[in-house]
Amino acid sequence: MARISLGAIFIYAGATKFGDPLAFADSIASFKIVPNALVSLLALGIPPFETICGSLLVIGLWRQVAALGALVAIVTFTVALLSALARGLVVDCGCFGSGLVSVTRMRLDLVRDLAIVMIAALVYADSGTTRA
Amino acid sequence: MAFAAAREFGHQLASLCLLAALSLACGLVLNRFRSAPLPLLYRTPEQRLERQLSELVKNPPFRITLEETIGLGDFQRAVADRRTLVLDARPSPFYEEGHVPGALNLSRENFARDFRRLQTVLRHAKERPIVVYCSGGSCHDSKLVAGALLSLGFTSVKVFTGGWEEWKNAGLTVSRHP
Repeated sequence: MARISLGAIFIYAGATKFGDPLAFADSIASFKIVPNALVSLLALGIPPFETICGSLLVIGLWRQVAALGALVAIVTFTVALLSALARGLVVDCGCFGSGLVSVTRMRLDLVRDLAIVMIAALVYADSGTTRA
Repeated sequence: MAFAAAREFGHQLASLCLLAALSLACGLVLNRFRSAPLPLLYRTPEQRLERQLSELVKNPPFRITLEETIGLGDFQRAVADRRTLVLDARPSPFYEEGHVPGALNLSRENFARDFRRLQTVLRHAKERPIVVYCSGGSCHDSKLVAGALLSLGFTSVKVFTGGWEEWKNAGLTVSRHP
């Protein structure tokens, strides 16, 4: 159940970013972590990565790698968000499409992302014990 | 056992890298077929605006018509009217040497830079009457700046075609940049 839920979350996350790659690129750039030369590549590569990992999780194929991909992705977003909060930046995570920008929203996004990290870690650990 | 686990993890990471590369390839291919592809060289919103403004003032889609040009008498009344925003489209060194009292410098030459500098004023001027002038005579900068402003949604923009030359020759008050 957790695997399928995690997969659905990542399919949704990827799908919301496909529609407006420029907005997602602006979100990535606003964190001021990645050089501008890499922003477009990330904006174009992350949505399919999320969608593919999510689909593999839902279908149940290549479970461990898909779960690891989801875990790496969500940990990266969480660390980036923590870094932005620590530096006093007010940014839109862009995790599930673009939205309002505020510190409160960032904190809520952080709580949400930490919950997803835990689910992803559990799914990864579980997929190791019940190999597809 | 630890070695086997590490090797297994290594295989997973390698598979993940392959997945990431495949994802990037998919993203690049999909981007190719978009109606508005994301440029591979990312530009920040500020850089994009600067570029758009520079392109806009070179060839504005909206053009000033004869009805939107005014003579010296109307221009004097506009300058005296506090509601009117008067803009000087000449390069900044000429503006600093002398300009119509109360005029702000929105040069054609550095339109993007000046537009960003005057953002706060311009944001509240969408409904205000605006008059643009430049040197006068054969100078087209005022019409290009006025056309750009119309394209940006400003509703009442006129051009004083006589320009700085006519204002000075009439012996009217001049201001200098402090």
